[in-house]
Amino acid sequence: MTAARAAAILLAKELRLEFRTRELLNATIVFALVVIVLFSFSFDPTAAESRRYGPGLLWIAFLFAGSLMLHPSFAREQSNQTLDALRMAPVSPFAILLGKMLANFVFLSLAEVVLVPVFAVLYNVSIAGVIGRLIVVLMLGTLGVVITGTVFSAVSAHARMRELLLPLLLLPILAPLLIAAVEATASLFAEQPSLDRTWLAFLAGFDIVFLTASWLLCDFLLEE
Amino acid sequence: MKNFQFLFEAWMAVWAVFLVYEFSVARRVARLRDEIDHLKQQLGDG
Amino acid sequence: MKGRLTITALVAFLLFFAGYAALFIAPDERTMHEIQRVFYVHLPLWAAMYSALVVAFISNIGWLATRKPMWDWLAVSAVEVGVVCCTGGLITGVLWGRPAWGIWWTWDARLTTAFILWLLYISYLLLRGLLEDPQRRATLSAVFGIFAFLDAPLVYAANRLWRTQHPAPVIFGDANSGLDPTMGKVLVACIAAMLAVMVLVLVDRYRLERLRYEVDELRLAADARAADSNSATARSPR
Repeated sequence: MTAARAAAILLAKELRLEFRTRELLNATIVFALVVIVLFSFSFDPTAAESRRYGPGLLWIAFLFAGSLMLHPSFAREQSNQTLDALRMAPVSPFAILLGKMLANFVFLSLAEVVLVPVFAVLYNVSIAGVIGRLIVVLMLGTLGVVITGTVFSAVSAHARMRELLLPLLLLPILAPLLIAAVEATASLFAEQPSLDRTWLAFLAGFDIVFLTASWLLCDFLLEE
Repeated sequence: MKNFQFLFEAWMAVWAVFLVYEFSVARRVARLRDEIDHLKQQLGDG
Repeated sequence: MKGRLTITALVAFLLFFAGYAALFIAPDERTMHEIQRVFYVHLPLWAAMYSALVVAFISNIGWLATRKPMWDWLAVSAVEVGVVCCTGGLITGVLWGRPAWGIWWTWDARLTTAFILWLLYISYLLLRGLLEDPQRRATLSAVFGIFAFLDAPLVYAANRLWRTQHPAPVIFGDANSGLDPTMGKVLVACIAAMLAVMVLVLVDRYRLERLRYEVDELRLAADARAADSNSATARSPR
């Protein structure tokens, strides 16, 4: 079985599992909404201020929500020891990791599909003209979050205090991604929307570096 | 010469950081050495 | 023991010489005068920190490749020492910035990178503290350590790119540009001294880790011995 096919099957399994109850998805969306609304109390969202603070808070909301959502990725496997079953199956460890990364990517993207329009409405930001480029930025950023986040979910799955540990490990690593994503988004929300290709290249580079590292180190993540 | 106070503080701060760390390491080493002796004795008797 | 004493004496002498040079031989700086001499501690601390982190990175790879415990001992020692140096660097940065430029903190690329690295490697230490099984602890922290090291240049690049878009007066950079040759020589001496101190502390910490391992092994042996004697007495009540 090729790694791609195995990953696709695992992805389907994760999606089926989640959509049965949708509890994780709902909780993620609600949490991000709460963060966005709470932030609005810290400044008066006039158009200029929204443009200044909006992108930052949008991405922070995604990062917080994402790190909560990524935790069960491997923790869920532990309660029924399904990870052992996966390990014994003739699938490469990278396929297992990839399947989970793709599933997390789908979940986080779904959350963003709901949250971005809500954000645009609450903060009076016009996204119609930049929607295409915004989607590219969102996708590249989300990829970075789920790649590192899934790996760290595996790392922290065996530790005590995993719910707190995952954000603790993840957020410092994502600092460069946060900077790049916020800058790119901010330039798209500006009066004269523009997109600096440097930030896009940076995001893509970030994704490639950590995907490669995950691929090289995946055996160690899933070993007994 | 007013800046000299900050310079002194910075120097002392760095010394303090290193010394505190060295002390913590040394203390743990001493404790572990004691425990090793104790355990070796135990194994010697039993 | 004698070798250790000699080396410590040598390092102490190097420190004394470097300190003297920094305080008295180095020429006075035009605008900042005395406080600029913090530079001779500040920069060597960064040099020591980055060296420690490189050692940690190599150790992480060493462990994953060979599974020899010495790599794990070296990894945690190097990260701890690196965090200590980083703390020193951040403190001296603050204590330099305040009198020299009137600000406690500046979000310039280098300082921000250092701060994020500090957080990153403290997370590494926290991770180790929360993983109980020794094999797993070594392996998983090695993976995280590699990710952290890969992240470091990305952090710096992001901050630099950001700074070019939101320029602010470059503060710590100016002290480097156009270094007076005497300053340069004093700086080299100070870096050498700091690296020597760092290596000494690193070796101590490494020895501590090796002792811990010995203690764990002895404990296991003692427990096994106790279990044997228990089962022996259990078998023979006649």
